Amino acid sequence: MFALKTVRLFFVKKGNARFVSHLDMNRFMTRIVRKAGLDIWYTEGFNPHPYITFALPLPLGFEGRYEIMDIRLNNDDFDISKLVSMLNGVCPSDIQFFDAKEPIKKVGEIAFAKYEILFDDNGEIRNKLNSFLVKKPIICRKRTKKGDFKEIDLSEKIKDFQTTLEGDNTKLMLILPAGSNDNVNPSILFEAFYNENPNAYYCYDVKRISILDKNLKDFL
Amino acid sequence: MDNKRFEQLLLTVQKPGRYSGGEINSVIKDKSKVDVRFAFCFPDNYEVGMSHLGMKILYSEFNEREDIWCERVFAPWPDFESVMRNNNIELFALESRDPVKDFDFLGFTLQYELSYSNILNMLELAGIPILAKDRTDFSPIVVAGGPCTCNAEPIADFIDIFFLGEGEKTDLQVIDLYKEFKKNGGTKADFLVAASKIEGVYVPSLYDVSYNDDKTVKAVTPKFGAPMPVKKRIEEDLDKTYYPEKFVVPFIEIVHDRAVEEIFRGCIRGCRFCQAGFIYRPVREKSVDTVCRQAKAICDSTGYDEISLSSLSTSDYSDLENLLNNLLSWTEKDKISLSLPSLRIDNFSDELLEKINHVRKSGLTFAAEAGTQRLRDVINKNITEDEIVKTCKTAFKGGYTAVKLYFMIGLPTETYDDIKGIADLAQKIVDTFYEMPDKPKGKSVSVNISVSNFVPKPFTPFEFHSQITREEIIKKQEYLKQCIRSKKISFSYHENKTSFLEGVFARGDRRLGKVILKAHEKGCRFDSWDEYFDLQKWMDSFAECGIDPAFYANRERSYDEVNPWDHLDYYVSKEFLIKENERAKVGKTTPNCRLQCQNCGANILGKGVCVENR
Repeated sequence: MFALKTVRLFFVKKGNARFVSHLDMNRFMTRIVRKAGLDIWYTEGFNPHPYITFALPLPLGFEGRYEIMDIRLNNDDFDISKLVSMLNGVCPSDIQFFDAKEPIKKVGEIAFAKYEILFDDNGEIRNKLNSFLVKKPIICRKRTKKGDFKEIDLSEKIKDFQTTLEGDNTKLMLILPAGSNDNVNPSILFEAFYNENPNAYYCYDVKRISILDKNLKDFL
Repeated sequence: MDNKRFEQLLLTVQKPGRYSGGEINSVIKDKSKVDVRFAFCFPDNYEVGMSHLGMKILYSEFNEREDIWCERVFAPWPDFESVMRNNNIELFALESRDPVKDFDFLGFTLQYELSYSNILNMLELAGIPILAKDRTDFSPIVVAGGPCTCNAEPIADFIDIFFLGEGEKTDLQVIDLYKEFKKNGGTKADFLVAASKIEGVYVPSLYDVSYNDDKTVKAVTPKFGAPMPVKKRIEEDLDKTYYPEKFVVPFIEIVHDRAVEEIFRGCIRGCRFCQAGFIYRPVREKSVDTVCRQAKAICDSTGYDEISLSSLSTSDYSDLENLLNNLLSWTEKDKISLSLPSLRIDNFSDELLEKINHVRKSGLTFAAEAGTQRLRDVINKNITEDEIVKTCKTAFKGGYTAVKLYFMIGLPTETYDDIKGIADLAQKIVDTFYEMPDKPKGKSVSVNISVSNFVPKPFTPFEFHSQITREEIIKKQEYLKQCIRSKKISFSYHENKTSFLEGVFARGDRRLGKVILKAHEKGCRFDSWDEYFDLQKWMDSFAECGIDPAFYANRERSYDEVNPWDHLDYYVSKEFLIKENERAKVGKTTPNCRLQCQNCGANILGKGVCVENR
């Protein structure tokens, strides 16, 4: 009898896969681990299903460059270096794994996420972003669990940001709180930005590029 | 439209996964390397359409050919439809995002009558003339198949070619003929005449319909040597019929989100209300080996953890025990659960229950159809009250505390006693639960009765009957509600309005084409969805066209009347249907195909159950 082995898998979610919600990702991964033929641990109960947990849900429409899910293998002798190619062989090109290792940190240690956002404009918008993001307060509307909205100030929550020019685009790097304690979806920040700057500056591309602990080190 | 802008727009609508494509096993080809592009169009939303087995079969079959690229198209939900209209996005195929108006074929599947308005809306969104006669270019050719083609006269004005019966062979023959015409520069008119010679092809524009003074059909006359009658096509040997090894696996949750293995076509039973039971004759089964091999391949290629054994009456499979044992030898180990839809009450056993519960427990639904023995005999359901009660007892013993029963109201000869019978039967099942000494402990029972409205359909013994009016439906539903005394019984029923319109189309003729066009212009679409169905718009359309819908739905038809579908041959003779209807009137049942051949006409094909050794 082998002991269970928890494995942390790292993957990219891009292209068409951005339109897959978190709930649907759960079902998708259930099928992928089955299709790959992994000897994975199933929950025991009324409806047995492969045990899969995601470190941090990704909002619909975002690209994820550093997505994380944990699985449990039944066989602790299994060579986990084979997992990436086994899974990629059965995944569409818009969802691809790049690493598998034994977890080092606990999911509760996630504190921040780093985003990269491209804006369809190369001049003015950079200045506007620079002045908007240092304002105090930055009032944003957040949907509450009850379904209504409340106003919150995000000026204290922005851990870091930086704007650069890239060809015809303005690129914004942004670090915001993430995880089970405090989580800020960057969309609400953009919404407030658009309310102040109603011209058609459109961000078409939001990427979450990493998940960080409280010391801004990669979550591993 | 560039992809960036398209994807931005997707994020403004509900469930963008309906339109994004890119699912596992979806097929991408180089369009410069194929000869024929086929848009398989399902006239309902993605979740409904992706659950449809016929699409999965034909999608894979077409795409196995190097010269054909088949892509999927669904009716955009109204939120995305307005985005499309506001941004001049034409109806596109999911795989390539190319506009379907540039395709060679648009193939619609006709699963239910209330999807007709969506077909018109999709043609309009595609930027293709809605009326077949206005489509003068060689392509796209608009074709349609599926059960409703047994009387698709109401939409004959909009479709170039109907496929009658099973399409696996007919469709490819038509595509090959098209390729030949395209290469040699033939005309569409010549192509349609040539296509009409292929077995299973019905080209409605090659038939003239004349009418009597009393508005009934006088005659249907073929032109240009088109065949008369037009025969449906069947697959003769299901072990040799194409079946996909892969299904496209949707990212978003769909209605039937599981692997599906078809185990036979047709049904031996001959329930007199059931169109499927007649138009798919004769019963043809796959062998146990074929089913097991195909089921395993699909599970492996999709990662699904549930497989449904599909047919019109799964427990009638002749070697069910052997089949289940074979499947269980690997499904249990792989944590795959089996689901058996369409279980019959009279052959449900402890062993069967135990087998389907191996991995996960699913809900149990049985079709009783009518509340009294008299009426069950009229419709030839061939199950007794004892069998119904016994079956529920078996389920309760197996740990179930909830069962669902299907019924219909509005069946021919129905009285209010029959309606009360539904409530009485449900009560009896509740009482049975509490009388059981070994009932599941500490639990309450729930009996869910789901009541739909009977709609008379072509090619059934009840095709002659009038459908009860909307007012009668409402009265009967109200009465049934009053008859239910127990809180353990829950009752759900269908809208009378949609059943009425379904009844009009089911037995309608070509004169309804202008009504459908008018309703489309008034904005009718998604008629099978209560939140979008607007009967008033339809009634206005009927009135503006001078057509009385009750003529089609609520009129008793004589045996010698020419029905709008009488020129189509589904191998079930009108004489047989008349004989069955007469037996129904006196409450006489008819044994099933395996017990005794009734000479319905399907035996002329010399296949399946008609030639089984007994």
